[in-house]
Amino acid sequence: QDLPYSDGKKYTLGSVSVSGNTTFSEQTIVTYSGLRKGKQMTIPGEDISNAIKKLWSSKLFSDIEIFITKIEGDVAHLEIRLSDLPQLNELKINGIKKGKKEAVINDAGLKKGTKVTENLITNTKNFLTKKYKKEGFYNTKILINTIDVKDSIETARVNMVVNIDKGEKVKVKDIVFNGNAVLSDKKLRKAMKSTKKINRLRILKRSKFVDSAYQEDLSKIIDKYKENGYRDARILSDSLIVNNDNKTVSLHINVNEGEQYTFGDITFIGNTVYSNEFLSRYLRIKKGDTYNGVLLQERIADNTKPDAIDITNLYQNSGYLFSTINPVEVNADDNVIDMEIRISEGKPAYFNKVSVVGNDKTNDHVIYRMLRTRPGQLYSKENVVRSVRELGQLGFFDAQEISPNFNNPNPNEGTIDMEYSVKETGSSQIELQGGYGGGGFIGTLGLSFNNFSIKDIFKKDAYKPIPMGDGQKLALRLQASRFYQTYSFSFSEPWLGGKKPVQFSTSLSHTRQFAYNPLTRNADKSQNFNITGISVGLAKRLTVPDDYFTLSQAVSFQRYDLNNYNISSLFTFGDGYANNFSYTVGLSRNNTRIDPIYPTGGSSFSATAKLSLPYSLFDGVDYKALKEDREQAIIDQDATKLGEIDQERYKWLEFYKINFKADWYTEIVKDLVLKPSVEFGFLGAYNNDRGVIPFERFFVGGDGLGSYSLDGRESIALRGYPNQSLSNQDGGTIYNKFSLELRYPITLKASAKIFALGFIEGGASYNSFRDYNPFSIKRSAGLGVRIFMPAFGLLGIDFGHGFDPLPGETVKNGWETHFIIGQQF
Amino acid sequence: CSEYQKVLKNEEIAPKFKMGEALYNEGKYAKANKLFAQIVPNYRGKPQAEKLMYLYSNTFYKTKDYYVAGYQFERFASSYPKSEKVEEAAFLSAKSYYMLSPVYSKDQKETVEALEKLQAFINLYPESQYSTEANTLVQELDYKLEKKAFEIAKQYNKIAYTSTELEAAIKSFDNFIFDFPGSSLREDALFYRLDSAYKLALNSVEYKKQNRLKTAKEYYQAFIEKYPNSKHIETINNMVLVMDEALKNYSTKS
Repeated sequence: QDLPYSDGKKYTLGSVSVSGNTTFSEQTIVTYSGLRKGKQMTIPGEDISNAIKKLWSSKLFSDIEIFITKIEGDVAHLEIRLSDLPQLNELKINGIKKGKKEAVINDAGLKKGTKVTENLITNTKNFLTKKYKKEGFYNTKILINTIDVKDSIETARVNMVVNIDKGEKVKVKDIVFNGNAVLSDKKLRKAMKSTKKINRLRILKRSKFVDSAYQEDLSKIIDKYKENGYRDARILSDSLIVNNDNKTVSLHINVNEGEQYTFGDITFIGNTVYSNEFLSRYLRIKKGDTYNGVLLQERIADNTKPDAIDITNLYQNSGYLFSTINPVEVNADDNVIDMEIRISEGKPAYFNKVSVVGNDKTNDHVIYRMLRTRPGQLYSKENVVRSVRELGQLGFFDAQEISPNFNNPNPNEGTIDMEYSVKETGSSQIELQGGYGGGGFIGTLGLSFNNFSIKDIFKKDAYKPIPMGDGQKLALRLQASRFYQTYSFSFSEPWLGGKKPVQFSTSLSHTRQFAYNPLTRNADKSQNFNITGISVGLAKRLTVPDDYFTLSQAVSFQRYDLNNYNISSLFTFGDGYANNFSYTVGLSRNNTRIDPIYPTGGSSFSATAKLSLPYSLFDGVDYKALKEDREQAIIDQDATKLGEIDQERYKWLEFYKINFKADWYTEIVKDLVLKPSVEFGFLGAYNNDRGVIPFERFFVGGDGLGSYSLDGRESIALRGYPNQSLSNQDGGTIYNKFSLELRYPITLKASAKIFALGFIEGGASYNSFRDYNPFSIKRSAGLGVRIFMPAFGLLGIDFGHGFDPLPGETVKNGWETHFIIGQQF
Repeated sequence: CSEYQKVLKNEEIAPKFKMGEALYNEGKYAKANKLFAQIVPNYRGKPQAEKLMYLYSNTFYKTKDYYVAGYQFERFASSYPKSEKVEEAAFLSAKSYYMLSPVYSKDQKETVEALEKLQAFINLYPESQYSTEANTLVQELDYKLEKKAFEIAKQYNKIAYTSTELEAAIKSFDNFIFDFPGSSLREDALFYRLDSAYKLALNSVEYKKQNRLKTAKEYYQAFIEKYPNSKHIETINNMVLVMDEALKNYSTKS
């Protein structure tokens, strides 16, 4: 019944009834519609249409109609007729893999219970078609059917079937250029980074056609022209022709190259700090060069690299934080473009306040002393970058989340506040293990705190859960089994006394080893071998040649004490002792950045010398005679005599040892890091008659983990071979190693850092300098992965293939698996 | 204890309230807290809720869970503005934030927050019985911020290796003196600023030396006028002798 609006009469609303296929109660629908009984309303009028609109907007009903059922005087009775929208009951998707279905359901909003409308079906269809087109399936066909469900439940429900026919991927058969004279077809095709024509030989890049990528590539063509001075180049038209096979398309691109431009005069305006001449040299663009807008922009401000050599950084690094640089074209006659580079230098900016926020655990003094940006100092971008790097290297903060923020910039006064925002990360590690090995139970308890505060150990409220925040390192380790016990303790403070970056470190250790009693199968405590060691060291950061250098010195003492212990391979005597008192001096340089777990640049090298006193010079023993006596004793097989002589030789160990190690890190492409490294070590004697000691030697091969060792040996990692297998039983006195490692990160989040690596390496140890041949090495290659989690430290596994035979064998060693704990290769 | 477990598992809410209150009065706040936590939603909007929420908030405070206590007391104060406990709750809320403030040498986010809350309390209830305590707490927190700025500036003086650190110390003490005009550390700040300027001047290259000596002398004047009876007086008198000696060179030359 169509009634004109203006003819509306006023009625009082009587009853409202509801009919139609709905599961909602009458009262709910009436209330929702807003048609209150007794309401004064005009029919036809706004009230009715509003009621319909309201019901529609609930998105629960379809076919909504409102009728007048009866009119009694000025009382009108209404009826609402509507039916519920069907709900989605079951969804079936055909044509794609099971794993992909979940994503489609989520993206298209096809959850169970969704109200199914025509709109939903159309949207889903469009969405899926678009989605697959984007992936290169140009012939995608989508078919959606709905089937009503008829069962005892009264709610209207439908099952939906979505048939997806992706068809074949559309590939690019040919790209044809028209109008290009200066740049060849090949060059233009190369400029198109993601749209490539079919080529069986190219395996890294797909040749499928994706429209969005194609549009991007069209602008890349223009960029290519711009780089070559054709700044008027444009694409006149481009067309896509679907070939008859329906699987490939051909692209036709018409370009208009325009004319080539060259740089004219480049003048600088507004520069007072740097001369025109200096700036033009810095710009490295001359008059007459082919016009290249991209390059010009890069030389003025390269946004891709924070430490690029460009004019912006030139100013930024010398304090001109407020400087702005604008290149302006002033003349373009005869295809020659005159540039004016307008520089507004502003005042040089000085740091006013420098602060750190987010240090919930680490004390201020530990952080502020590391910062290279100080109040009152001239602003320098370089120093900011370096401060961030060095804070990251402390290991107390999440290196990926340190951010330098500039606050309160004041161009008039020339001041800026600097705030470093840090996020603390767990830096303590606990190791607790127990297990069977070596004939009995072995228990290990290890604690290492990397940000300890020793001055707070007697403060009760500092235990949250342990006193932290002074940047000190404290490690405790206890290991015990029936046959041996080891206790060790170490502590280091990076700024001794808080005045200078002089690191103080000390360590104490004690090991007790008991002989195996074959009768009781137990430890024989009367036969024992004890080692007690103490060392104290200082390391100082140098300023010359540059401030990445560190000079370290240490004094260490170790005492070996044997009681009726006749089974050591090291000693020819069972009762006696040996003392190892030595001085170590080392020079190292480390500018690796940024993340200490995953450095992406810089290098580190260290050279150390460990020396004992030249006792043989002044102790008055005739070692030549002793050597002869010893040789005689060996011939005579006189063990007692030999023991006596060796006791004399080992009373104070006399030796010198030189180590050298260098690593480089280079980022080849984003995050992919190449790490070459070299190592060398040499152990010598001052007095050849006294001989090279059997302690402190090098053992090459395996994972390089410091296996439990009594004799100060150095384990040198060489993957692809069993542990310490490449040196003879006594160890080598000289070794070298070369390796090349390629690393790629899987994740670098603070909670877990994971990276994969591939390596080739080679190394060997030699018995004496006479045997030394740096190229006669054992080679290997392999793959591995490393996982760093703050609570566990570094864990990893490597698979290495040894290409050379072990000493005394003839076939190559083959594959070895290495587990890496806590140590960095 | 079994009685407690029974009530804890019971569905009824009245016994929980009763027992929770009894436990609260006995000082067993952790247990009371557990009971209250169960019934808080049931009492929402009811007349008993006011008392319950007060007790509940206080159990957090007593069990040193200051983060939650601060929040709960704040909610109490805003939900029951007519309550007789509202003043106390507002104060305890602010005090909870005070409790969270760490030692001066760490990030002071919580300190700043506590200062804001305490100040808001003092502004709202200037006549409160707690205002004396609130003011003491504010002073304590203020001192913490002063101490922090002071110690950072002093560290620059301490680690001075090149002129950069000494300049940083002077700049930082300048900022300190400007930012905290009434600080009890002012005397020391002025002293260390002078000390830094003195060291900077004496170790300067020739062409900068005279100006720096003059600046240091100015700092000396500023100090001596303000604190003629300072404990540092002997040290600075020695400094000034050395500086005068050095300045003589310039007066004779010119």
